[in-house]
Amino acid sequence: MKLKEGFLLREIAGETVVLPTGDDLDLNMMITLNETGKFLWQRLEQGAEEAELVEAVLAEYEIDAEGAKHHVHAFLEKLNEFGFLA
Amino acid sequence: MEKTYLIAGLTVKMDTYGRTLEQAKPYLYDVSGDCDIAIVSNWKVFRDEFPSWSDDMGEYIFSGFDFYKKLLGYDGMMVHSSAVVVDGTAYLFTADSGTGKSTHTNLWLKQFGDRAYILNDDKPAIRREKDGWFAYGTPWSGKHDLSRNIRVPLGGVAVLNRAEENAIAPFAGVEAIQQLLKQINRPKGMDCRVKVMELLDLLMKEVPIWKLDCNMEVEAAQVAYGAMSGKDA
Repeated sequence: MKLKEGFLLREIAGETVVLPTGDDLDLNMMITLNETGKFLWQRLEQGAEEAELVEAVLAEYEIDAEGAKHHVHAFLEKLNEFGFLA
Repeated sequence: MEKTYLIAGLTVKMDTYGRTLEQAKPYLYDVSGDCDIAIVSNWKVFRDEFPSWSDDMGEYIFSGFDFYKKLLGYDGMMVHSSAVVVDGTAYLFTADSGTGKSTHTNLWLKQFGDRAYILNDDKPAIRREKDGWFAYGTPWSGKHDLSRNIRVPLGGVAVLNRAEENAIAPFAGVEAIQQLLKQINRPKGMDCRVKVMELLDLLMKEVPIWKLDCNMEVEAAQVAYGAMSGKDA
């Protein structure tokens, strides 16, 4: 599981947005992330796998293992659905 | 022949012709030594890709594109908008082509008479400087060549929508980011894209951004001015 190349996470006016930077920039591809979304995205950028993401969430947030697994999986499914995963 | 200009507060070198040369005349400026920006129009390179464009049109578009790309290096960018000045403050109205930007700023001219003028009717430059944000006229000003070679403090930017009733409200969040990004020149390449996002971030933090619903009555200008200037029209 890997993020597609060419996306850029930035803070703009208090929002965390992910934008495609490719030459065929499609602004409809712009998404915003909440705090945990940003947390997971940044780890994905560093090449983390699903299991590592779950561990990271467990270490960072007050959540049980089942909840963390569920949350990470749902996030990845959404990214995949919107075409952000390679 | 290469000539030198002062555009958006920057010294500029450009060898151009036709409409671009004509519209750049008010910006001629004697420079000894290097210029901040040397415009390279790539029109000749891309001519074959745009068979329906005249040389005049192509040169105008490509020279402007290069200027606005290099302007990013000086904390400036182009906002596709009509810029009107009232009492020495500039207000930008941005929207997709055909929404009625110029129609709206014309209502401002009607309402304010001698107190108002159009700074640039299509592609004003804005720059973040030591003492705040400023709007500039440029030679790339749209079909009517309504443009003045002046630097004016930027008072606000409104995203314009056609509506039956006039209403204005502060505009923030994802929708505002998306609407504004659409109307800002975004040259290719990662460096330019990052710079555009940095500038947009600062713009949204430092300059009031509005969402304006407006009809074509002069009341639209009064409503917009009231909120954006904080004064009664």
